[in-house]
Parts: sequence; C-alpha cells; structure tokens
Amino acid sequence: MPFDQALRFASIWLASTSFIGLTLGAGLPEWLAALTGAALILALLRNAGGKSMGRLATYTLMSTTGWNLLVIVGFLGFWVDMLWVSGELLPAGVHFLMILMIIKLFNLKLRRDYLHLYAISLVAILASGSLTTDLWYLPIFLLYLVVGVWTLLLFQLTKHPEEPRILTMSVAMRPQPLASVSQVTPQFFWLANGLALATFGLTLVIFFTIPRVGAGFYQKGFGENIRTSGFSETVNLGEIGPIKRDPSVVMRVELSDSLPQQAGRLYLRGVAFDQYDGKAWTNRLNYRRAVSEDAAGTFVLRSSRSLTTPRLGDTIRQNILLEPLDTPVLFAAPFIERISGKFPSVQSDLTGSVYLPFPSSSRIEYSVLSRSNSLLPEDLGAEPGVYPESVIRHFLQIPSQPKRIAVLAKEITHTQRTIYDKATAIHSFLTHNFRYSLDAPLAEQDQPLEEFLFTRKTGYCEHYATAMVIMLRTIGIPARLVTGFLATEWNEYGNYYVVRQQDAHAWVEVHLPHSGWITMDPTPPSIESIGSGSPAWHALGRMLDTIRLQWGRFFVQYSAADQLAVVRELRAGSTSARNKAFDSISTLFSPFMAMFGGMADYVSKGTIQSLAEVLVPTLIGLAVLLWLGIRRPWVKGMISKKTTRDEQVIMQLYGRMIGHLDRKGIAKLTATPPLEFVRLTQERWSSAGSAVASITELYCRSRFGQIPPTREELSLAEDHLRDLMTLEKP
Amino acid sequence: MNPTGIIHAIQDNIARVIKGKPQVIEMSIVALLARGHLLLEDVPGVGKTTLAHSLARSLDCSFKRIQFTSDLLPSDIVGVSIFNRQKQAFEFMPGPIFANIVLADEINRTTPKTQSSLLEAMSEAQISFDNKTYPLNQPFMVIATQNPAEYHGTFPLPESQLDRFLMRLRIGYPSPEEEKKVLDRPQLLHPAEELQPLLATHDVLLLQDQVDHVLMEESITDYLLAIVQRTRHSDLLSLGVSTRGALALSRAAKALSLVRGRTYCLPDDIKELAPIVLSHRIMVARTQGLRQRSCEQAERIIQDLVDSIPVPV
Repeated sequence: MPFDQALRFASIWLASTSFIGLTLGAGLPEWLAALTGAALILALLRNAGGKSMGRLATYTLMSTTGWNLLVIVGFLGFWVDMLWVSGELLPAGVHFLMILMIIKLFNLKLRRDYLHLYAISLVAILASGSLTTDLWYLPIFLLYLVVGVWTLLLFQLTKHPEEPRILTMSVAMRPQPLASVSQVTPQFFWLANGLALATFGLTLVIFFTIPRVGAGFYQKGFGENIRTSGFSETVNLGEIGPIKRDPSVVMRVELSDSLPQQAGRLYLRGVAFDQYDGKAWTNRLNYRRAVSEDAAGTFVLRSSRSLTTPRLGDTIRQNILLEPLDTPVLFAAPFIERISGKFPSVQSDLTGSVYLPFPSSSRIEYSVLSRSNSLLPEDLGAEPGVYPESVIRHFLQIPSQPKRIAVLAKEITHTQRTIYDKATAIHSFLTHNFRYSLDAPLAEQDQPLEEFLFTRKTGYCEHYATAMVIMLRTIGIPARLVTGFLATEWNEYGNYYVVRQQDAHAWVEVHLPHSGWITMDPTPPSIESIGSGSPAWHALGRMLDTIRLQWGRFFVQYSAADQLAVVRELRAGSTSARNKAFDSISTLFSPFMAMFGGMADYVSKGTIQSLAEVLVPTLIGLAVLLWLGIRRPWVKGMISKKTTRDEQVIMQLYGRMIGHLDRKGIAKLTATPPLEFVRLTQERWSSAGSAVASITELYCRSRFGQIPPTREELSLAEDHLRDLMTLEKP
Repeated sequence: MNPTGIIHAIQDNIARVIKGKPQVIEMSIVALLARGHLLLEDVPGVGKTTLAHSLARSLDCSFKRIQFTSDLLPSDIVGVSIFNRQKQAFEFMPGPIFANIVLADEINRTTPKTQSSLLEAMSEAQISFDNKTYPLNQPFMVIATQNPAEYHGTFPLPESQLDRFLMRLRIGYPSPEEEKKVLDRPQLLHPAEELQPLLATHDVLLLQDQVDHVLMEESITDYLLAIVQRTRHSDLLSLGVSTRGALALSRAAKALSLVRGRTYCLPDDIKELAPIVLSHRIMVARTQGLRQRSCEQAERIIQDLVDSIPVPV
C-alpha cells in the first residue's frame, strides 16, 4: 500500500478508535453516534472504494462556507447544550467534539486537516479516559496507541507530498523509479508496531514511576451500587433466594497471613438478627455507636484485654475489596476485632456487626483482624452454664408458632445432655434430612417455616438457618440468624476469594455459656451451585477476574500509596504468586505452549522476578533492535527512500543544468555517467566547466553518496547555475 | 589516517619510476586495495616488472619474484619439505609464495600444473602441503605478467583461471616525451630501488577494510548487474561474465572510489573499470574473427556494451 493511502487509512482509524472510546465511555446520544459512525464509514469508503464510491462521497460535499457555517452552528449548539441540555461541560464538549470530527472527516484535503483530525482524536480519547474506568478502555487505548504511532510515522514519511518530486530532466534521461519509493513494506509494519510496543512499555514505566498528584476532574463512581438483600434491618424469609443466581462480584477477600484455603470456606459475616415474627427477621439491637480509633488509625471493636475469659480462637487477617453496595455493612469473618481502612468513622451495633456511616459509592478497601470464638472445654462438660440476662432477653424470642416445631426440637434433642450436643443434634438433623433447593417458593406461604420443616423438606439457607434458630430457642438455647456471604470461590491467580451476589448466605450463631457465640451452618452443601462448564472455562473466568481486579487496583485507583506498595513488592520479589499464575496459564494453553516450549519453560520457572525486570530488558532489547535496524540496509533503504527536501532541490538543480546544456548542444546520453559528462562539457565548453563540475559533484554526493547538501552548498550551486544560464557559449 | 593523502603519495611515489602511466598506477593500487590480483599483459620491456617492483617497494612489505619457465615445479613456488637430521623430522621450507607481493613473471611459460598451484594459492590465500595448511601473508597480491606477442612454447591460461585475477591491465608504450624522461634518468641502479616505503602492511589491511565501507547505492548495483547481464546475452560473446566477475567489478569500483577520495561509488567508476575488470573473463565469439586472445578486441567489445547501457540518474 502506498504511504499516502496508508496515511489516510491510519488517520481515519485513529479517529474511529477515539470515537469507539467515546461511544463506549460517554454514551453519546444515538443520533450523534450514528452520524459520526456514518461519517467514518463514508471516509473509509472514500479511500478504499473505487471511483464510483469516491464520486458518491464527494458528491455530498458542500462549499467551504457551508462547512464554516456548520462549525459556527455547532459551537452555538455547544453553548446551548452546556447551559440547558446536558448542563455540564464535559458531555457538551464531547458532543461538540464529535460534530467537529464529522466536519473534519468531510474536509480531509490538506495536511493540516489531518493534523486537526489528530488533535480532535487525542482530545476524544483523553475525554473517554476521564469518563470511564472500565477494563475495555485498555484495549481501546492500546489500539489508539498503535494506530497513533502508525499515523505519526506515515505523516512524517510523507512530509512533502505537495511538492513536485519528478525532475524536469532531458528527454533522453530515464525517469527515476519513484513509484516504488513509498510503499508500506513488512519491515515498516514491524517497525511501526515495535515502536508502538516500546511506547506502551514506556507509558507503563512512566505511569508506575512518576509520582502522581491529584485526581481527575470528572471522577465518577463505579456506576450503580449493587443491590443486595438480607442486610437491612428487616429481612423477609425468602428474600435471599432470588439473588442466588446473580454472579456479579460483591467483594474480593485476600487472606494476608493465613495460607490460602484451597477448598475451604470463609464465612463473611454481615448482620445478625434477633427477632423473628414468623415471616421476617428483624434486628432490634441496631443501636449503632461509633467505634473508637486507636493511634494508628485502626478501629478497635474488642480488645483481647477487655474480655473476661481468655479467648484462644484462631485469628484471620483479611484484606477486603468491597464493591459499592447499597448497604453500609462491612463484611468480615466473625468476629471483627480490629478494622482499618480509608474511612473516617465506623459504627457497630450490639450484635457485633460493623457499619459505615452511609453506603460507599465507590469501591473501598479495608483490612480486618478477626478472631473466632473457640469451643471451650467447659461447654462440653456436663454442668449447664448460666446465660447472661441480656442474652436471654434478646435471643430466646419465639414467634407464636404451633407446638409442632417445639415438639420436633425436643424429639431430636431429648437424648442429648449438653447445650452443645443439643445444637449439634439439630444441626445434623437439618443437614441430613432436608434437601437444598433454590426452587422453593416459600416466601408466599403463611407459615414458611412449618412448610419447610414438615411439608416440603426442601429449601435454602435462610430456611435452614431460621429453622435451626427457632428450634434452638424452643429448647432454651439462645441463638441468632446471621446473614452474610459464604466465600468458596478461590482465585488461585490472584490469591483471593471472589465473593459474588450468589454467595449470599444465612447461618446460625449459637450462644454457649462459656465460649460465647459459635458459628454453625445447618445448610447442607449445595449440589447445584457448583455450576456447569469446563474447568478450563472457569479458570479463564477467574483469570479475567484477576485482570479486572488488577486493572482497577493498579490503573484506575492507582495512588501514591499504591506506588509505594508496588515498589515495596518489587523489592520483596514475591514470585510464588506469579509462578502459580504462569503454571496455570501453561496448563490452560498447553497446546499453544508446546509450540513456544522453551519460552514457557523460561517463564514458568519463575526467572522473571518482577515487572521491572521484564520491562527493562524489553525496552533495552527494543532499543538495540532499533539501533541495529537503522544500520541494516533495509532500514537504511527505507529511510533513504524518503528523499529530503534538500536532496530534491539539488536533483532539480542538476536536472535544470542538464536541460540547459542540452539546449546549448551538449546532450547527456543515457550511457554517459555524470563525471564523464563533466569532462565532455569541459572539453566542449571550458568556461562552463567549473560550474558544471561543482553542481555535478553536489548531485553525485547527494544522489549516490546519500550525503545531503547543506544550505550553503545549495545556494552556491544555485549561484553556479545562474552563472551558467547567463554564460554565452562560444 | 587520511586514505586519500596516503594513496596519492603512493601514486606519486610509483610515478617517479613509471613515467606517464598514471592510470595504470592507479589501477594497480585499486587491485591492491580490492584484495585482488593483477594480470599485466603486454609486450616485453614496457615496465611490467618495474611496476610490480615499485608497488612492492612503496609498501613496507615483502616482495618475491618468480620467473616462470617450462621446467618450473609447484614446489618451486610453494616450498619443499626437507629432512632435518638434528630433529629427525621433515621440515617445511616455505617457497617464494610466502611474500606479500609476488611477481609471477611470464606466467604462461610454465606448465598448467605449476600454474594451477599458484592460482590455488591466489584464491584460497593459503597453501596445503603434506596435509598441513599454511596461511599466506596478508596482504597477499600476485602480479602476473604475460606476453601476448609470443605464443611459441607457452601454455595460455584458460578463462576459468584468468577469472581469478581482479583485472587485466595493459601498460602500453609511453609517449615520446615520457620515454625521453626515462632515458634521461641515471642508470646506476634499478629505479625502483630508490623508492622509500610509505605504508606499513598493517595500514594496507586497514585501507582494504575501508573499501568494504564504501557505499554503493542500489541504482549503481543495478547498473553493474545490467552490464553483467548484457555480456551474457551479447551475440559478440560466447561466454559472459560470471558472478565472480560481477563481485570483482563491485569491489574494484569501491576501491576506485576510495582511491579517488570518495566514500561512495559513481556510475563513472563502473564504466571506467568494466573493460579492465571484465575483458579477461569473457570469450569473444568465433564470428568476430580468429584473434580471440586479443586484449584490445575484448576490451573494445566491453566498452561498446557499456556505452549502450543507460546509467542511473
């Protein structure tokens, strides 16, 4: 493809890329998007299509005055848009930008028109960058980068297309083979893409290393908050059921010091409920108080010193990335001891649930130290403990249920002696005799619990948990219902749990006299929640999720603090996670990897220590390649094929000289080389000899020696030629 | 080191001995810088040997002369193994070929066997003897002379072996004025003996390396190849120029550019060198008369061919 055509194509692609970015990011009005799209397609067709297409495209053009008028109208429209229609600067600006792009696309004639188009595209891609934080921006940006490098290279290489290139030589001379001069060669293709890659690498380095200040002017949240159910003050039985099929991610949980629990389950406690009225659970203990903050900015809920009995439960340290939800609840493994994050204050209620003052509109990250209550040996012993008054008051409430439930509970537990054994008996009863099903439309029932226990015998977590709580209460054991999430999906690529909406769960906390609240889950493991699809597909999904997480963490929310963290991590050189990721990739793509066997080995062996260690050699390698490439004949040829302006001038001068001598009767034959022609001229017209020799020398040096003449030499040669023209031939 | 100045100094140096033949001197230096060998073909007594001698004297390098006769043997050139009594072993005694510049006088007077032993050394730059390989000195240049006037008792070199020579030069008689200068010169000692060496062998090698860096623009390469192609399709010739010939012309053109103080080749270089580099590599068709071995005829045919090929502009 000739350079000129390639340039036109690349320019339109550049505009298209920024247009796609804006369309995806800003949500242009349909008519404007359609109009711009049509203009882009038309512009493409004008370049690609044959003559008829071109005529069609030019036919629609109006006069320059018309276009100018349109620009003015568009500008007025921009003010109207900004003041009344959209009411904001950015959307109005974006709309005006698109109108400018349409106008420019119809007026691509001169080189400066192309420059204007590039400027519009640049502003458009920047605007789309400030309008979105989604992952799709990355491929669009990459595409923009590649096309941009292409466009700029081509723009430089076709620097003087408006100037005449063919010299006015004498008739006898062969025209120069200039047709082959500017073609897009494979070498050029790779050079351009290599440059784009290098630019991207450089961009990454700059992004990660240059300290950043401030934030965007138009920072938006992550779109709509995710709607949750089960975490308000009142929860109807059966409310969680419908969301059990929603796969949207709610949070991601990293376990910072404990080992990744590959098959393990992690309960993320949200809210506890004490009152059940037969249909709905209510949290009456929702009086929230602010949690005090210690010197290090950590909110301490219960310090180990304040406890009456030494608690020996396991601690879990978690880093939680919570998506914006419609609830202010902060989820964590039971029971939260300390919590720290980027929020000004934290509240907690009497059941140990932790809340933000109001729901966050953006993703928040917090770390929690949790300690579960361990089962003390006193509770396994025979003598019954004594419950505190507050526990009895709140957690033994029973709705006016028929006696059947109480009878059933007694039946199950009458052989057991201790409280713990009784609870376990009910737990195993529910686990073994009931079937888990999401298809239970129990919400409409008058007596959902009875329906579940005696008729249907199928249900989901809420039913199990409610049944267990009520049964425990009927036999005098304080218990409460807890809602939250049950994390089971371990992402081995990023070393975190992915918690989705469908992981919403309800379980039971039983109060034992000595140990305190113990978590028990009567819900049998669900069979259908495993899901279908091949493991490879799931792995791919998890990998994509990791990428999305990293995108959000390292690019969208990248702050100076993160910068420090990255540097620290680079220095620590944590390779295990990466090794794992590479291993998984290689098993996933083993057929492809077999092809690049050596490479895969190299990568999976974990020789790559860190991002910097990859980037730096890549950049150095590219630089060396480029440097070598410039010394290679093909690059040299590519560069030299672009005749510079000065070279063209001297070639024109030489052509005029030859033409002049031809008119004076000294013809240059095709087989006469330049210096021989100088000698010939000197023999036949000695007074012209010196001028001819000097111009020829400059011409030869530029044409065959590829040493471009300097300005002084050129003006000297022009003087010589002028002298020659005035010289009379004897 | 300024190559142009040095080369001019050598040219002037030789010109003090060889009067009135600047072109021949220039071309012999071109052959040296292009790492080629030189074939001087002319009648006796016009200074062939003197030219070789002067060139060798101007460079600080070793010079050997071998007078080729019909009873010369390969071992007279390459060397012999002699039994050393003290060491109880054979010892290789290098022959006259172990020099930087070797003058092979009247090369067509010896047998093909001996000729080929020399030519092998020329192309390989090494000698194999008794299953051992001995590299020759660098720079290594053979200047061979032959007498076209006298065919009695000669073994003319076949074209395939002539191909090994970079160029074939004719010196020709000097003009009467120049000849007078030669006669006026005191005849006390050999004129070449009074020359002072100007260039060390190391510098010669450097200059030869510089030749490789001379730029030959693509259009000039095309021009060169057009000439070569034309010789292969000409009706006047029964054998065209080989690829080795094209390579030789390219190298010679680069060396000539360097000698003329340029870093790039011009079409002029190719055109000027074509007759002397290519004429001994072709065979004139029998339709052109029976004077096949005539240098002049072959050179004229090449000249005519080149004159019909358009030069790049």
